Amino acid sequence: MRINTHPILEFKRGAAVTITFDGKPIEARDNETIAVALHAAGIRNIGRSMNLHRDRGLFCAIGNCSSCMMIVDGVPNVRTCLELCRDGMTVETQHDKGVLA
Amino acid sequence: MNKTADIVIIGGGVSGCSIGYYLLKNGAKNVVILERDYLSAGATGRCGAGIRQQWGLELNCRMSKFSCEFFENAVSELEFDGDVEFHQGGYLLLISAEAELEQMKKNIALQNSLGIASRLITLDEAKEIVPYLNTDNLLAAAFHQKDGHLNPFHTTQAFAEAFKRLGGVIETRTAVTGVTVSNGRITGVETDKGTIQTGTVVNAAGGYAQGIAKMAGVELPLYSERHNILVTEPVEPLLAPMVMSFSLNLYCQQSPHGSFVMGRTDDSQPRDLRVSAYSGFPELMSRSVTGLMPPLKNLRMLRQWAGLYNMSPDKAAIYCEAPNVSGFYTAAGFSGHGFMMAPATGQSMTELILGLTPTLPWPKMGLDRFETGELLLEPSVV
Repeated sequence: MRINTHPILEFKRGAAVTITFDGKPIEARDNETIAVALHAAGIRNIGRSMNLHRDRGLFCAIGNCSSCMMIVDGVPNVRTCLELCRDGMTVETQHDKGVLA
Repeated sequence: MNKTADIVIIGGGVSGCSIGYYLLKNGAKNVVILERDYLSAGATGRCGAGIRQQWGLELNCRMSKFSCEFFENAVSELEFDGDVEFHQGGYLLLISAEAELEQMKKNIALQNSLGIASRLITLDEAKEIVPYLNTDNLLAAAFHQKDGHLNPFHTTQAFAEAFKRLGGVIETRTAVTGVTVSNGRITGVETDKGTIQTGTVVNAAGGYAQGIAKMAGVELPLYSERHNILVTEPVEPLLAPMVMSFSLNLYCQQSPHGSFVMGRTDDSQPRDLRVSAYSGFPELMSRSVTGLMPPLKNLRMLRQWAGLYNMSPDKAAIYCEAPNVSGFYTAAGFSGHGFMMAPATGQSMTELILGLTPTLPWPKMGLDRFETGELLLEPSVV
């Protein structure tokens, strides 16, 4: 879901891009973050807790809480609430603490 | 708070708690540990947590071997309801100069003669241990599998709980404000919570040991130097050993939790008991560690802190009774290695205080060495 009209704010949509989330294509805009694109696509589980591996949703949305870390183009521990979408970007759910290359 | 005690230990770090445990285990009674803040609040809880037996001095080798073997069985020995997280992934000491190589060969011969199975390895062998190691400026490495790292908080807690189980008393948030002496003998300790009469004081105050000694009129040839450390976000296991380079002045380990803990020595650091964060440290540390281990470039630092190295003139510890104040004992001057030596400190100080037959080489580690000139120069420290 995206808000298209708002009584006060004006939204400038970026260019349409496609990112891949766990193998599935997701329509996104190049001026929105990965977490926002996933949220708009109805994806609410975007992280896993470190010890009990329980679902984590979008929480702080400003890069502080580490709830939304994913593997982006092979790099683990990317805070998807800060990272902007790029066309062809590969995003994967991270199930561990992150494997450094 | 107790009004009297047979022995008062000043300092609730790993050394103080270990001394307390060994004293009670060997028959001492009525022992009190005084801690200004909380257990492990000083150098213990701020240290790099390394445990190594690769030393250049026989007595350091013997002290650390005793300690390492204790740590291997610490959970059962101390009946600890937890884990001290002793990870024996080895110590990889990187060698980058010919002089260093010669010293390391001597060290290894000494270590081997004392039953420490360290060995000189090639850079290819080093890369089997740390595949992404940048060996550009290196010649060789020394490795000992039984070295590693240990959780300082859990270890201190394990000693403290065992100490209390044996009847010991720990007073935290209790600052020592004075040590009273009469006719050259200890008579008591003054704190901000009251006075304790005692004939025996053990100064295990780490970075503050020289200040505590001054309260008793004892001069110790010690100073404290700020050392900086940082911790990163956790990642999956990537680094088994503690990696250490004397020429780069750094050490780096990955804790069982997955975070990397690393520090470096910097001669520009203040010696005035400050433990505030040094703003220049993160960049200097990052540059040197990522040069050596490039994958760490993708790690985010979480925070930095600092603690005090209590430096002795020859970088070896001091275990002594003050020559001018009977009943005033000191275990200090560990020069950055007090945590890993803690069991040996407990055993040594107990033998010294209770007049037991020495089983460790602490009689050579007294204050008199600075007058006779028989210094214990440790060649291999960061």
